[in-house]
Amino acid sequence: MSIAIEVQNLRRVYRASTSILGREKKEIVAVSDVSFDIKQGELFGLLGPNGAGKTTTVKMLATLLIPTSGTATIAGYDVVHQAQKVRESIGFIFGGERGLYWRLSGEDNLRYFASLYRLDPSEAKKRIPYLIELVGLKGRENEKIEGYSRGMKQRLHIARTLLHDPDILFLDEPTIGLDPVGARELRSIVRDLQSEKKTILLTTHYMFEADALCDRIGVIKHGEIVALDTPQNLKQGVQDLSVIEMEVYGIGSEVLDKLRAQPHVDSVSLEDREQKQALVIQSSHGSEIVQDVINNLNGYRVERVVVREPTLEDAYVRLVGG
Amino acid sequence: MLQTTRQYTRTALMAAEVVLKEMAVDSFIMFTIVIQPLIIALLGLWMLRDRPDAAIYVVVGSGMSGLWSSMVFISGNSINAERWTGTLEMLVAMPTPLYVVTAGRNLAHVMQSLLSMIAAYAVASLFMGYALDIDHPLLFIPSLFFTVVAFISFGLIMAPIFILSPAVDQFKNGLEFPIFVLCGFLFPIALLPEWTTPFSYLLTPYWAARALHESAHGGGDVGVVLASWAILLLSTVIYVAVSRRLFRVILRRVREDGTLGLA
Repeated sequence: MSIAIEVQNLRRVYRASTSILGREKKEIVAVSDVSFDIKQGELFGLLGPNGAGKTTTVKMLATLLIPTSGTATIAGYDVVHQAQKVRESIGFIFGGERGLYWRLSGEDNLRYFASLYRLDPSEAKKRIPYLIELVGLKGRENEKIEGYSRGMKQRLHIARTLLHDPDILFLDEPTIGLDPVGARELRSIVRDLQSEKKTILLTTHYMFEADALCDRIGVIKHGEIVALDTPQNLKQGVQDLSVIEMEVYGIGSEVLDKLRAQPHVDSVSLEDREQKQALVIQSSHGSEIVQDVINNLNGYRVERVVVREPTLEDAYVRLVGG
Repeated sequence: MLQTTRQYTRTALMAAEVVLKEMAVDSFIMFTIVIQPLIIALLGLWMLRDRPDAAIYVVVGSGMSGLWSSMVFISGNSINAERWTGTLEMLVAMPTPLYVVTAGRNLAHVMQSLLSMIAAYAVASLFMGYALDIDHPLLFIPSLFFTVVAFISFGLIMAPIFILSPAVDQFKNGLEFPIFVLCGFLFPIALLPEWTTPFSYLLTPYWAARALHESAHGGGDVGVVLASWAILLLSTVIYVAVSRRLFRVILRRVREDGTLGLA
């Protein structure tokens, strides 16, 4: 299988002025050193915390940013020197609602972008109704998109990016902010694209999404790839762990530090869930340390304790730290 | 080559259609291109109420002010609006060059701002009873055509500068009124101090105003009108050539600086 996307030692540094007159500049390394290949027809996931460099990497590949150093080729074309050829070969979505003309109807947006993608009018005439149907916007295509829900705008983005039927797609957090039904519908569209042998680079925060969709995953942290493998192999890397999940109330950072200092505790993370908190502890000793953990939470209300097998999310947490 | 030209023309016209549809529901834009020039026209007509023969001068001048305001304000605003809404990044990452889209957008701005000239004409003739005869329509219509083309190409020079950074947008306020004055939209530049004349000669809108005023109200001196057309054509060719280069350089720069989007 041939290589569709080849990225070698990609680096991107932003210069931000730190003085009023703008003479003092500070360098911010968004992507430090990223290398990976994506095969034709592969769905490759790029995971990482906020600010890790995922969107910057995608923007460099989509020709919107010029790398500070390193090279990247898309379908054999260099993203800096053959940007025009790259643009003809790719489709892209940046998560969220931006990037559309809100005062126009969905169909007018697609007509405009079809023209920008240099589609023949007769081809556009066939392709637009097909795509509107594909993304489930039939019957709403003549409404101004300022009245669309977030999910509908996201689906319109999918239709937009498929107008010229590109072989390579960049989907940067396509399900961000969608309700569960909307996100599920969008994942189903991505699966269909996968079955059409499109090459897809997907970035996401949702581990179950990456686990369900991706052939391979690269985990990016501080602008560098810290792991690159299949979801299965990444999970294998944490098979020695068990995960203890507890529903707790009112836990502060000092308690987390105390737990992290306990023997056999690999990582500790805390997530707010409305009034409750979800405390997640990774440990190679599993249920053996549950009592010690509860002893350390003396005085705090603890409900529901579950010890489970690790998931891709646990592998991710171990890789990026928690 | 022919196919590419056809594709680019289609896209430019599509971009114009998008702008017209979007602007039709924007009250600020409608004020800038219709109401503001109308106010200027009414003030001018009132000030020159003893000289009904000058009414057409005021109507043409107020139309030109609408044209210029549209170029400076709306072109600049629309680029920054595209930056805010995330569509500027989309446009840059498309296979169609951005100057094609910009030319279409400028066409829409110019066509729409001609509305202000028609509005002023209608008010002066229908409500104020002025006889607004255009002295030399055969010279006026081509003058209008060359003006439109020259303004579109002038907008092609300005657009990449607005793309460079959102900060450039702040300077556009200072560009509006000096051009009204220096280009003789509302009164002849002969009334200005002599040292300002070379500046006027350097500005395309001055030659457009001169061709339009001369054919609408002046003596219809064919030599003056033809010279203005020649300068408008020459400046159009220069602006188009310079803007192509400017788009290339500035788009490379914003991709290096990362200033295309806001995030």
